[in-house]
Amino acid sequence: MLVVMSDLKPEHQKQKQKQQEQDVDLSVDLAGMVMANPVMTGSGTSGYGPEYAPFLEIASLGAFVTKAVTPGERKGNPPPRTVETAGGMLNAIGLANGGLERFLSDKVPYLSELGIPVIVNVAGRDPDEYAMVCRALDEVPCITGVELNVSCPNVSDGLDYGTDHARLESLVAHVRRDVKRAKVIVKLSPNVTDITATARAAINGGAEILSLINTLAGMAINVNTFRPMLANRTGGLSGPAIKPVAVCMVHKVYSKVAREHGVPIIGMGGIQNWRDAAEFMLAGASAVAVGTALFVDPTIPNQICGGLRTYLAGKGMSRLCELTGMLAN
Amino acid sequence: MMTMATKPGTSHPALFDGVVAKNVSICSEHFRLTIDCPPGVTDALNLARAGQFVHLAPPRGEAEGAAGGNMGTSSCPVPLLRRAFSIAGLRDSLSDGHFSGGGRQFDVMYRVVGTGTRWLSGLRAGDALSVMGALGNGFPISDTKRHAWLVAGGVGLPPMLWLAEALGDAVTIGDTTAAGKVDREVVAFAGARSVDLLALTVDDPSVVSRDAGVASLGAKEFADVGARVVIATDDGSLGFHGHVAGAMGEYYGQADVQTDDLVVYTCGPEVMMRAVAEFCVARSIECHVCMERAMACGTGTCQSCVVAVQDESATDGWRYELCCDDGPVFDAERLVWG
Repeated sequence: MLVVMSDLKPEHQKQKQKQQEQDVDLSVDLAGMVMANPVMTGSGTSGYGPEYAPFLEIASLGAFVTKAVTPGERKGNPPPRTVETAGGMLNAIGLANGGLERFLSDKVPYLSELGIPVIVNVAGRDPDEYAMVCRALDEVPCITGVELNVSCPNVSDGLDYGTDHARLESLVAHVRRDVKRAKVIVKLSPNVTDITATARAAINGGAEILSLINTLAGMAINVNTFRPMLANRTGGLSGPAIKPVAVCMVHKVYSKVAREHGVPIIGMGGIQNWRDAAEFMLAGASAVAVGTALFVDPTIPNQICGGLRTYLAGKGMSRLCELTGMLAN
Repeated sequence: MMTMATKPGTSHPALFDGVVAKNVSICSEHFRLTIDCPPGVTDALNLARAGQFVHLAPPRGEAEGAAGGNMGTSSCPVPLLRRAFSIAGLRDSLSDGHFSGGGRQFDVMYRVVGTGTRWLSGLRAGDALSVMGALGNGFPISDTKRHAWLVAGGVGLPPMLWLAEALGDAVTIGDTTAAGKVDREVVAFAGARSVDLLALTVDDPSVVSRDAGVASLGAKEFADVGARVVIATDDGSLGFHGHVAGAMGEYYGQADVQTDDLVVYTCGPEVMMRAVAEFCVARSIECHVCMERAMACGTGTCQSCVVAVQDESATDGWRYELCCDDGPVFDAERLVWG
């Protein structure tokens, strides 16, 4: 029988350790957006809130990030929309959503009761569409931030802003002019040669927070039928398969652009547990988002918070925010 | 770890670790997996109905706060995402089941086609697995119609086994206080490409009776719950030679059944369900279709599993609903086939 060493510790030592874990401050402050803990949902992986309520206390999240909202309703792509690949999944949902009006009437009442920061992911076809949605959301008190989805690989117009620096800067500036209260977050695409250049463009346009990475463009083919596995032919790759790419990009953006401008990063891409979350924070993220892993286990955000407490107490650290960018040379 | 809460609508899902009671081969490609569930989820499972599904994954690595989805070993990779299976039956665990203090057990049936089902086929009694469920909405059960036909092809059989049981349990229909109460007649039409792929225990293939001019065989799974069985094989190796939808059509032609006294339930390959659904819609026969789609979350968040349904308020007359959350059972009249 395996004897765990911690079981042999005297009772007072165990109590002390537990107390140290409880004393760890998990709160983070992202450009004035204060979260009780660093774990949020990745856009498009937890609907608009109530879907995971049977399994996860949504109010226990650091922040809730909604699925994308566009000005009008979008049906999205035909099925199949997702396929599992080695260590990950491809999706091509196509921004399916009921549109701004239905979001405001049907989804906001639930979100307004959560009592945690709520971030709404926003997509549009041109700067005016983005600005129109963001203006409306800016007037809803419970909405703490808008996350500009400039990097969805699954709609024909999705990647243009995320890969063209000049257009991205002008789009962000356009939105910033109209948004008076909510934080403006820009979600960066990994489908670029140099993500630090897009990060710089977003910051120059007025981004207050960066989130990265969105999915990597990918494709899978059925060799029996010769057909693509997704009806949309290509999709976005997420899950643990992309985590090293994401950590690398967070590290580059943090060390070359974001740190000097004081712009916090929400890190995401394949996070499944507290170790993954800690990795992103060491690379420079101030908060993290869990996406694909929620499909497997919606309770992961709570598990990550518990794991981070134990980890930080073990390191003799009392504040999680001190972990950001602590990567050793 | 166990999480339970009430979800609006007909689903009351729980997330828990179950333990394999049995994992047995039932024909050349299909397996039946029986999972013991802890007593704490009995209430949630008791609300489940035929047509609902469970979402299965390797057990969570709780101690490290780790999700599964590691790469496994090269010889036996484990799936990243959960896999959805219709519940094929639900009952009390045996007294020597894994969990002390009772609990329920349920069956799923599967055919090994990829990473997820290969992982399932390697499970042995005593192995743990993570269960999310029951999810989705079950088959509506009519309490007025005297004839219920269950049309299943291939791996569409599992929900029909449980449905036949449920229909058998509710066998008396109409006003039970009236003198003229009648029993419901349940006929199962089970199709497979070939007899060796038929996931049923056929009593004796040589004992064939003729029902409505179509060969009818005894199959233990349905006979036990009082349902008659018509078997169809594509290659004619047993029963009706041809597709199961064709067998149902032929049976209908011979049977003395009023369309408004008949309800049809179907599950299986989409081409077969479409044939059954269109047959029924053309004759105004009530028909419920259990759809299958690739799913990621199973709970209405990821929007993967869309099914096109009619919507008069939409400019082009249709919209998408979610197989997991709005289905998987759909009224045949609403479906828009691709």
